[in-house]
Amino acid sequence: MTKAIKAQHRFFVFCVAPSLAVLAVITLLPSLYLLVTSFTPLNLTRPETAWDFSEPLVSYSALLSDDRLGNSIWVQIKLSFWTVALQLSIGVALALLLNVKSRLLEALRTVFLIPMVLPPIVVAIIWKVIYTPDISPMHGIFRSLGLSVPALITDPDWALTSIIIADTWEWFPFTMLMVLAALQMLPQELLDAAKVDGASPWQLTRHVTLPFIQGVLLVAGLFRLIDSIKAFPLIYILTDGGPGNLTEVTNYYSFLQAFNFSYLGFSSAITVVLLAATIALSWVIIRAVGWGVRVD
Amino acid sequence: MQALAVVLAILALSPFLWLLVMSFKTNAEIFRWPPRLFFPPTLDNYAALWTSEFRTSFANSLVVSVASTAVSLVIGVPAAYALSRWTTRAGASITLWILASRMAPPIAFTIPYFLAYRYLELLDTLTGLVLIYLTFNLSLVIWMMRPFYDQLPRSLEEAAWIDGATMWQGFTRIILPLSGPGLAATAILCFLFAWNDFFFALILTRTDAMTAPVAVVNFMNYEGWEWGRIAAGGTMIMLPVLVFSFIVRRYLVSGLTGGAIKG
Repeated sequence: MTKAIKAQHRFFVFCVAPSLAVLAVITLLPSLYLLVTSFTPLNLTRPETAWDFSEPLVSYSALLSDDRLGNSIWVQIKLSFWTVALQLSIGVALALLLNVKSRLLEALRTVFLIPMVLPPIVVAIIWKVIYTPDISPMHGIFRSLGLSVPALITDPDWALTSIIIADTWEWFPFTMLMVLAALQMLPQELLDAAKVDGASPWQLTRHVTLPFIQGVLLVAGLFRLIDSIKAFPLIYILTDGGPGNLTEVTNYYSFLQAFNFSYLGFSSAITVVLLAATIALSWVIIRAVGWGVRVD
Repeated sequence: MQALAVVLAILALSPFLWLLVMSFKTNAEIFRWPPRLFFPPTLDNYAALWTSEFRTSFANSLVVSVASTAVSLVIGVPAAYALSRWTTRAGASITLWILASRMAPPIAFTIPYFLAYRYLELLDTLTGLVLIYLTFNLSLVIWMMRPFYDQLPRSLEEAAWIDGATMWQGFTRIILPLSGPGLAATAILCFLFAWNDFFFALILTRTDAMTAPVAVVNFMNYEGWEWGRIAAGGTMIMLPVLVFSFIVRRYLVSGLTGGAIKG
């Protein structure tokens, strides 16, 4: 190795080391602590449980027989499926609608982004207002039409749907934005060639545009899927997991176990499983996108 | 086509506009149906907010967000630069690590931080919040700036080295001045992510270090549903966000996806 290259390496290490060191302390160490805690029956109201490793797998075996956890995973699957599916379809539809060169539509694109950039807690407040019959414009309209509609967030048939609607509203701009970005890269020649061959607008969309953006749809869907596992403020503000456990997703159940019931050991075990799922999905994204595999 | 788009936009934004308008209404006006389009607007909700504890929480939010942004940039930017220039086999695993820590459910960090902070006496402190916000903001900086540096040609700093500059000088005098737009966008996104946080602040603060999002929720729980004030508080929290997001709207996609798609 020449002297210059050595100096270069030293410089790179000098640049990267602080970040890696800090990241190790603030992310790796806590993850290990979480893992260690998951092997104890830690309960904050009983301090002697803190470093008790006599039965390391007690929380994990409790996981397997916990019906409430099973229910939360099922709720999570329903929430993830519907929010991702709706966000992808609405996002694609809007992106196709807005992908026209026009001042007005370009301004509208920015307007459509608002739900996504709002602080999640504000989104939750907005929907709390809409779902509270006394002050809700939606319920006002229903009343004027003579329809009697129950308060959706406390109605067992509607609670999860109302969360799905609010979450879809918050995040459809994300898929829309990603699809729009991809559409800008669609080569015009491709469209022109298809038009010369006499393709209808519908055939263009179906056979040229959609295949072109399917990679982006996959990535956008994966990002939303991972994010849907973290759903918190909406559920906290709107339903608090209820009625019953109908909107209690796994993340929320873990939160309740830890900070309402003080079962931090058990909650850690749930969270370790969640974290493993997240890392697996992140790995899938990396494979799909191909970061890190760079040709220089 | 355009008319349809306009109608959809108004429809999509109506829930948001409703909250905005509500913050200028008296309580009687909020419960009125059908609502009046022209009602006498009032600033009472904002005035009530500004004379309450909410002001402290708002300041806390500002301090924590700015501090965590500054620290993340100082540590993260050189790393982003080096990772962009350095072809190392460790690159892929570092990317996975960074992505995973951005994607991890917040509860995964909250439990160990909560336990550790009890011993370190960092519960309910601004320092504690700044530290946990680094978990997402430091990754965000590396994640945003690395693709940005990938686009800057290497010949820039190589020319400086030939002229006798050290590597550090090449970075600070050539590369950093060119990073202005990328740095600004990254800083704003960091600020927004910290500002928007609800979960960490909910669990790791009680009174002293409470941030604005948590304070607004407390209006819901203890003060008997003061809708006007809740709406005003929500509006104040979202105002800086809307302004800043408008500035960085071009970078939103890469900020959220780490350059997977360039918007």
